[in-house]
Amino acid sequence: MRDFWKTVFGYVLTFFLIITLNFALPRMMPGNPFVHLSGEDEEVFETASSEQVAYYNAYYGLDQPILTQYGDYLKGLLKGDLGFSYYYKTAVLDIVLRRILWTFLLAFSALILSFILGIILGSYSAWHRDSWQDRALYMLMTITSEIPPFLVGIVLLIVFAANLKLFPLSGSMKHFTTYTSMGEKVINILHHAILPVITLTFVRVGGVYLLVRNSLIGVLKQDYIRTAKAKGLREKRIQYVHALKNALLPLFTRLAMQLGTMMGGTILVENVFAYPGVGLLMRSAVNVRDYPLIQGVFLVLALTVMTANFAADHFYRKLDPRVRE
Amino acid sequence: MLLILLFMAVFAPAITIFPYNRSSGPALSPPAAPHVLGTNDLGVDLWSMICHGARVSLTIGLGTALLAGLGGSAIGIISGYKGGFFDEVVMRIIDMTVALPNLPVMIVLAAFFGPSLLNIILVLVLFSWAAPARMVRAATLSLKQQPYIQAAAHYGAGTFYLLRKHFLPELFPLIAVSMIRLTGRAIVAEASLAFLGLGDPTTGSWGLIINHATSFSGIYFTPFWKWWLLYPWLFLTMLVTSLAFLTREFEDALGEKRI
Repeated sequence: MRDFWKTVFGYVLTFFLIITLNFALPRMMPGNPFVHLSGEDEEVFETASSEQVAYYNAYYGLDQPILTQYGDYLKGLLKGDLGFSYYYKTAVLDIVLRRILWTFLLAFSALILSFILGIILGSYSAWHRDSWQDRALYMLMTITSEIPPFLVGIVLLIVFAANLKLFPLSGSMKHFTTYTSMGEKVINILHHAILPVITLTFVRVGGVYLLVRNSLIGVLKQDYIRTAKAKGLREKRIQYVHALKNALLPLFTRLAMQLGTMMGGTILVENVFAYPGVGLLMRSAVNVRDYPLIQGVFLVLALTVMTANFAADHFYRKLDPRVRE
Repeated sequence: MLLILLFMAVFAPAITIFPYNRSSGPALSPPAAPHVLGTNDLGVDLWSMICHGARVSLTIGLGTALLAGLGGSAIGIISGYKGGFFDEVVMRIIDMTVALPNLPVMIVLAAFFGPSLLNIILVLVLFSWAAPARMVRAATLSLKQQPYIQAAAHYGAGTFYLLRKHFLPELFPLIAVSMIRLTGRAIVAEASLAFLGLGDPTTGSWGLIINHATSFSGIYFTPFWKWWLLYPWLFLTMLVTSLAFLTREFEDALGEKRI
């Protein structure tokens, strides 16, 4: 239990660090807001008078001491106020929430697919250790786990979307069409999601594979496996009930930790396929230097990943009695 | 493979005829006599761009690996050797950097601090020192328990003598491997940032070439991708995979030595 509070404390601390970073970054930038408000040289040049400067300072609360500003910032966050996008002229939270579902769709489908594939391939490799299939798989997975996702995405895009025309090039669904039924719409959405999900799965499956293979090889060396064999249990029963269960449990948290990497991958892949999730949003925000939006996306992503990690951590303690104290 | 790429990077000016940052021929010409790998939309020679891009990628990779590898190892050794409060703080910080989703943080930092080569290296270092630090710390802790080291300490060996004579030789292969791995990671991370438009626009790294090529509208329907996109893609993939294999090789060698 003491351990539990320690992890909670760690996560809370990390999250505060992120928030503080978010708060501090714009204030550490050189210059001040009035440089931006006063416009280019060719335009009608408005110089902010000292009264105006004082007015805006008071309006945005910039005349307050830094700690009060920080407190106000935290209060705003609690109310879900992530700031106001310069470019889209709406609240950041609205934009992010509208886009994040697409990101989740990609990330979770790919997460589940890569788990299933990785576990199947990994256990196959471990059971047939040192056969040529195992060696070939190991080689292949070593390569795929290191290649950055956008490189894979570009290849799939060129081959399957541009040349074979099997899949759409970009977007998450067809616009400006009316669907006759709900099912047609769902199929259209899935059709758009296939290539990005395949890309992500392809990149992530190697990591899962290596973890599963190593863990399972370790378990297969254990005494209770030999006992089970000596009892004359069927091969399949040993493989699934005895070995796989014990090999996968300790991997649970490490696999959940992959979510962070997965989010990074999703950001890249969305940009390859012009998929309208938060990754694409983040890039366009970077291009127009829409700082509140960049920060908003970042904060939401960080919060999601950390919550998921924490949940996995907590869940694992319940799942595996060996680590419970 | 790696040696070829390294050679390309070091002798980039000698093996390229055309400038890498100025137009030197017709735009978008396919690979042919003077322009071995073709040209991009501004008529810049791709072979030159790739050779100079190799310099950028390797500088970033090696720079990050050196800084993060040495810094991380130093922190790991101190933390493992001394233990106590310092160790506790370091472990907390390591946990934090591991829990953070790396790419989004890097995007935010790169967006705010501006994309210069040095800034990118610093941002990468900030997120890659934790892995070697954790590893070296664990190794130091287990070394500290070794009888011969305890004996040496009992005979009155000083801290620095112990570190130099006993810890460093044992830890060195570990640090070297983690630095090779970091090189690969850093190159990938830089390429990712550049692909998102956060690279240093003056350097022309491989990720940046790919970024320009994919931003060219309709590239997938034209034959241009066959050289403009394919060759930087090919070189980046080769570099990353050969680094991955090198890491794997060294890890295997290390593993066998342990057993």
